[in-house]
Amino acid sequence: MGGAQRPPQLHLGNWLGVLPFFLFSGLFLIGPTLILAYRSFEGLQGGLTIDNYRQLASPGVISAYGMSIRISLTTAIIGGLFGFLLAWAVSLGKLPGPFRSGTTTFSGVASNFAGVPLAAAFIFTLGRVGVVTRIVESFGFNPYESGFSLYSFTGLTLVYLFFQIPLMVLVMLPALDGLKQDWREAAEILGATPGQYWRYVALPVLMPSILGTMILLFGNSFGAHATAYALTGGMFNLATLLIGQQISGDVLHNPGLGYAVAMGMVIIMALSILIYSILQRRSERWLG
Amino acid sequence: MRVRWNKVVPATIAVLMLLAACTPAATQAPAAATQPPAAATEAPMADAMADLIAAAQAEGGLTTIALPHDWCNYGAVIAGFAEKYGIPVNELDPGAGSGEELEAIRANMGNPGPQAPDVVDVGLAFGPTAKDEGLFQPYMVSTWDEIPDGAKDAEGYWYGDYYGVLSLEVNTAEVANVPTEYADLLKPEYNGQIALSGDPLTSNAAILSVWAAGLATGATGVEAAQAGLEFFKQLNEAGNFVPIDGDSRTVGIGETPILIDWSYNSIANDVALAGNPDLETTVPSAGRLAGVYIQAISAYAPHPNAAKLWMEYLYSDEGQLGWASGFCYPIRFNSMVEAGSIPADMLAQLPSTEGAYFPTIDEIDAAKAVITAGWPSVVGVEVLPLP
Amino acid sequence: MTISAAPLPRAAEPPPTGAAAKGSRWPAWIILFVCALYFLLPLAATFYWSLRAEKGTLGFEAYRRLFADTGFLPAFSESIVNAVVAIFLSLLIIVPTAYWVRLRMPKLRPVVEFITLLPFVIPAVVLVFGIIRLYGRPPLLLTTTYESSRVLLVCVYAALSFPYMFRSVDNGLRAMDVRSLTEAALSLGANWVTVLRDVIFPNLRVALLSGALLTFAIVIGEFTIALFMAQHTLGPYMANLTRSKVYEPSAMAIVAFAITWASMGMIAYISRERKHP
Repeated sequence: MGGAQRPPQLHLGNWLGVLPFFLFSGLFLIGPTLILAYRSFEGLQGGLTIDNYRQLASPGVISAYGMSIRISLTTAIIGGLFGFLLAWAVSLGKLPGPFRSGTTTFSGVASNFAGVPLAAAFIFTLGRVGVVTRIVESFGFNPYESGFSLYSFTGLTLVYLFFQIPLMVLVMLPALDGLKQDWREAAEILGATPGQYWRYVALPVLMPSILGTMILLFGNSFGAHATAYALTGGMFNLATLLIGQQISGDVLHNPGLGYAVAMGMVIIMALSILIYSILQRRSERWLG
Repeated sequence: MRVRWNKVVPATIAVLMLLAACTPAATQAPAAATQPPAAATEAPMADAMADLIAAAQAEGGLTTIALPHDWCNYGAVIAGFAEKYGIPVNELDPGAGSGEELEAIRANMGNPGPQAPDVVDVGLAFGPTAKDEGLFQPYMVSTWDEIPDGAKDAEGYWYGDYYGVLSLEVNTAEVANVPTEYADLLKPEYNGQIALSGDPLTSNAAILSVWAAGLATGATGVEAAQAGLEFFKQLNEAGNFVPIDGDSRTVGIGETPILIDWSYNSIANDVALAGNPDLETTVPSAGRLAGVYIQAISAYAPHPNAAKLWMEYLYSDEGQLGWASGFCYPIRFNSMVEAGSIPADMLAQLPSTEGAYFPTIDEIDAAKAVITAGWPSVVGVEVLPLP
Repeated sequence: MTISAAPLPRAAEPPPTGAAAKGSRWPAWIILFVCALYFLLPLAATFYWSLRAEKGTLGFEAYRRLFADTGFLPAFSESIVNAVVAIFLSLLIIVPTAYWVRLRMPKLRPVVEFITLLPFVIPAVVLVFGIIRLYGRPPLLLTTTYESSRVLLVCVYAALSFPYMFRSVDNGLRAMDVRSLTEAALSLGANWVTVLRDVIFPNLRVALLSGALLTFAIVIGEFTIALFMAQHTLGPYMANLTRSKVYEPSAMAIVAFAITWASMGMIAYISRERKHP
């Protein structure tokens, strides 16, 4: 059954299948991006200039990109890890059914719980007068005096995980469901330990999905603005906050620079996808 | 047929988009520049007003932006306008910053729809640059002469609307000893309690707060800006400064029990909280700094007559008293006090502005340059090493 | 008629794997417990603060003030409709695309993935002003009326959901043997529409559910774009109601959480797997 496989050809018929996507994203994503690109060349006095891009090389902007990348990588990896574990727990870990649907629904809600409400929730919990802080203090130990602060890289990571982990859970569940029972049984019959099964069978099979979902987490964190602003008052140097200062604020007003920083983010994202695609192709190679 | 579709199709879409994006902008700008300015009317007031009201009502609506209801009691002001003239007010983002307001004008050139703002309320320093860019159209209200010269554009493109002084908003449930001056804030008893109402790189009030703290040390002008940075560096190193965007919520729950913010916001918050918890507003005498905001009509306003009527309303006694009820000083304050138009109980609620320093636009720009350049190193991102 | 990718029918409960096989599921329980603690504590703290609107006591005053406002239901229903339409739009565009890229045009994958990740790097403020510039003036003037602006908004929301929808669907497609299923269906005489509708879609149930939930969350909570597009949806409504208030925002957060949970529970219930006789 099946006959000879028709090799994929780049003729016009194939393009019809993806045309709706390109048309739609052209209208609503690429179009605005092009405007963004065009306006990134606008100077303060009107007219076009590449001065904005020259400013991208200034230490403040580079440090902002670095911090954004750093927090995105951190939350992608930690969020990926815990999200994977939670997704495993409710699917293959054989917890009772209601826990899976509960986790799925909760993840859906939490995935978009961000910005001011999220920052507020964590301030209520771990802020200087937060509930947990007060509880810990009642045991005689003052976290803020020992150097912990919610308003720091650690704090921001902790807060970001609130929407990163659920995202990982939701998007990995379809992949985990696809892990076939037969493989597990075959491995056991051949004498493999659970560790070996995971290392040589399950993880390699899941790796493309894991990588794909982690680039999603990376992007999600990279573009986050509202949460970072709400928690740090903009006093943390992130690329998205920099853009907000130039475009939206009451003080600085060099929109061209803001757009140039945004274009820089687009380029970083493109590079990340390049790296990810290379990793992806390697992980898919043996799957055939 | 071996056309390289995978290159051609995206490229075509891209080119079409680029054309669509660029062309209308080029054709719109000249049209705006040739729009004749509305002359200040000298015809009999009553007739002109009646005509304006009729024209405004014919337009059928007004679109505003960045007017939070509890800021200078804009809620009552907007409602008053809508009721008096029967013109529905479409409110865009109340939380928008000045930058977003101007961008909204720019992006909505040629758009008659509900997304285009008719009028804006922005920080003083934005007036000249926006005027030069052609974003405003001039209009001189009937009470034009009562607006102080330093707070308006001579040609009528923008005009001050209200002002206030910076104050300390203190949650008395958390803070036993209410500080009265900026110098007090450095005391160790206020450890981890003091915040600004925003990021000095984004918020008008915050950047003026830094400047005010510098003025309190006795320095003046641009040196005060540098002194302000030094002050906050000390505050941060002492651990008294909490680096988050403070507002009534963080004050109310005690996370930032001392907030440097506009007096009108502070008093309004106190009233709104109704004792849960109790707030106290103190206006420091050293470094007392006043800030002015300005009104303007968009050059591309879809409802220009409604916009002009709105301005007339705002600068009439009714509108000005509306702002006063929100604890703001209306711009015609001095003339109105002379004429006895402000009720005594309202006067009593307003904090003292005696000795307040009203910076000019140039002074603000100079101080801004110093503070925005130096602020990142002051707060100095403390990046805790990962555990 | 649907063709399932599941293995041959076996007993209702497949034998447990790993530690679970030994009868103990404690690793899973520990993970669940730790995660539950992390997620529920901040929510509990928010709830606690929402009860403190009345001085000295814990009560529901903040909630009473919230519900005194009458604009909630219209804003909520408007958002729900927007969300449902955006979900369908997104599904209809993404599923065929992901399928095609996987099956026929793998070289296009990086381009498609880059485009689907664009919503992350374009700030919402920039996006909405870009949309207004493109479609708010002649020749493409689409923003004249509230309704036409609403259509634009829903399309933008669908585009914003692309990263999540694409990744979910891609993971789901990866988990099933797309090529064999397609060839089996084609050789049985099905056309492409039938393949997509009766073979691919049903097997993507979990992936589509994840994508739908994520899209729903985005649309319900979004407010920057809605605000600048002058739309009266739930996001702007909630933001306005709780602006500058102290206790109401916490109450609003809890209410929003509960409402979103209920709506999502409904979506999950509607799309649950139905056992065939």
